[in-house]
Amino acid sequence: MSGLKLKGLRKAYGGFEVIRGVDLEIEPKEFVVFVGPSGCGKSTILRMIAGLEDISGGELFIGDRMVNDVDASKRGIAMVFQSYALYPHMTVEENMGFALKYAGESKETIKRQVAEAARILGLEALLSRRPKDLSGGQRQRVAIGRAIVRHPEVFLFDEPLSNLDAELRLQMRIEIARLHKELGTTIIYVTHDQVEAMTLADKIVVLRDGRIEQVGSPLDLYDNPKNQFVAGFIGSPKMNFLPAKIQGGRLSLVGYAGQSLPLPPLETAPLDGTEVMIGIRPEHFTKDGQAALELTVEIVENLGNETYAYARQGHAEMLTIAMQGDRSTRPGSAVSARFDPQKMFLFDMKGERIF
Amino acid sequence: MAQTRLGRNENISGWAFIAPAMVLLGIFMIWPILWSLWMSFQTGRGMNMSFGGLSNIIRLTEDPIFVKALGNTLTFLAIQVPIMIMMALIFAVMLNSPRLRFRGLFRTAIFLPAVTSLVAYSILFKSLFSTDGFVNASLIALGLSERGVNWMGDPFYAKIVIITAITWRWTGYNMIFYLAALQNIDKSIYEAARIDGIPAHAQFFKITVPMLKPVILFTTIMSTIGTLQLFDEVQNITLGGPANATLTLSQYIYNLTFRFMPSFGYAATVSYVIVVLVAILSFVQFYVARDRK
Repeated sequence: MSGLKLKGLRKAYGGFEVIRGVDLEIEPKEFVVFVGPSGCGKSTILRMIAGLEDISGGELFIGDRMVNDVDASKRGIAMVFQSYALYPHMTVEENMGFALKYAGESKETIKRQVAEAARILGLEALLSRRPKDLSGGQRQRVAIGRAIVRHPEVFLFDEPLSNLDAELRLQMRIEIARLHKELGTTIIYVTHDQVEAMTLADKIVVLRDGRIEQVGSPLDLYDNPKNQFVAGFIGSPKMNFLPAKIQGGRLSLVGYAGQSLPLPPLETAPLDGTEVMIGIRPEHFTKDGQAALELTVEIVENLGNETYAYARQGHAEMLTIAMQGDRSTRPGSAVSARFDPQKMFLFDMKGERIF
Repeated sequence: MAQTRLGRNENISGWAFIAPAMVLLGIFMIWPILWSLWMSFQTGRGMNMSFGGLSNIIRLTEDPIFVKALGNTLTFLAIQVPIMIMMALIFAVMLNSPRLRFRGLFRTAIFLPAVTSLVAYSILFKSLFSTDGFVNASLIALGLSERGVNWMGDPFYAKIVIITAITWRWTGYNMIFYLAALQNIDKSIYEAARIDGIPAHAQFFKITVPMLKPVILFTTIMSTIGTLQLFDEVQNITLGGPANATLTLSQYIYNLTFRFMPSFGYAATVSYVIVVLVAILSFVQFYVARDRK
């Protein structure tokens, strides 16, 4: 299996740059997830790796081979599309064997490889069906099967689960994780769903506006986000952000009637009056926290195992609080949202993390 | 009870709504169809007709002009329709390519003939291919021919002129159907094929053509029907000549009815030959294009 190296990768349409110099190393057999909001360039990078988009600048290596100008079919990759991109007039078997036929494989080899892929994906009973006779999940499995039979060095997945309903999405997610274990192939997977990213990835690449914001393991990104964007993007529900000002060595909360929190130890002590952003994850509100925010609950979502309360003080920002085991909270009630100040994050007004 | 009355009222107003259309269809379509079927068993000249049983059908087999017209029509069909369908398909695929510049211009240019009047373009072709017309002038200027080609006077070349004219007029029309169908094909199917290393010719024959099969079937049947009814072009360009070399069935029906001593019964019989041909050919085309799985 091959790794990949992206060196200063750029893509421009006319004069407009959409990928602005991406450097990344992907180890062999690694499961890498590109994540980011719509328009961040994650699919474009994937398509550049696939050879479906020209590379405007920089270098792309698959293994030790620079593939900037290598045709898509000769890069040793296989891609699974969001729309499945199955050939609608062919049976499942023909869909999976089509590429092999043109790769000059013998009929026996094609039959054997298709049968093997069908076994791995549980498609044996569906081989003679057409895509229109299959469910969304089955179609996605055929699309994966079509990729598997080619024994690619690298698998590319472009938002493969976006068209599935929630239950199927979970099922296929587990299936893809199992496949990665079984096949041991390098996988690059694009999604805007951070839950998919967290559960599948060995390494997550967070992108924004054609640039990499942070690369790291899922827990690394969760525990140590480099900036406010990554902090807000990783974690569900989203991290809460409270504007604050540094005054007299404490964090004075904006809109909280003069309430302040102790300032954690920072590398360089900021000047009085500096504006900062406090980040608190909803699940970091606990009953035994040392600090507390007095809030009024506006909306409550009971999920059974967990309850999310959306609460605020006066007209300040709405905060999300995850209340494990507490089902008694009602809209309109007052809560004292306690948290450990050691677990909070601090960002400067440029969004860079300072604590 | 109330429900029954309501049902009856709805029934009446429903029929009332479609009645005008039904009456018009009845008078101008169904009645003439049935009447012409009855007429096809009548013999005689002008209005002086009598029941002749199958005598018109027997006359068909002994009528050399009918055999000639049938042969001409089938020749046009067999040569022109496949050429036009292939060309329309190739143009559609080319004009669908995002890499082609001035696509809008080419699309308009190729479709434009389809909106011109049949008579107007026929006259244009007649002048282009006349002995001292543009085509001959060009051939002579290019040194490809010494004295030009006698397009209208030679049975073979006259057929070529007709085939060229219909192809020019109808290729763009058929292309639009393919273009519309192509634009509905998910682009990622071709991207998947590219990654899978499927060569361009295989993408065309193994992906594009099968996916367009329903549209190809539709256009083939429509073109077949159109060619079997071919009239305007031959009437205006060659008048069926020379020596009936381009005479079509429709033109023969017209001649039997309006140019010669009117023979309405026999003309109706020839009309039904077209009906039977359309039915047989459509069945064959559906059968060939059927889903085999």
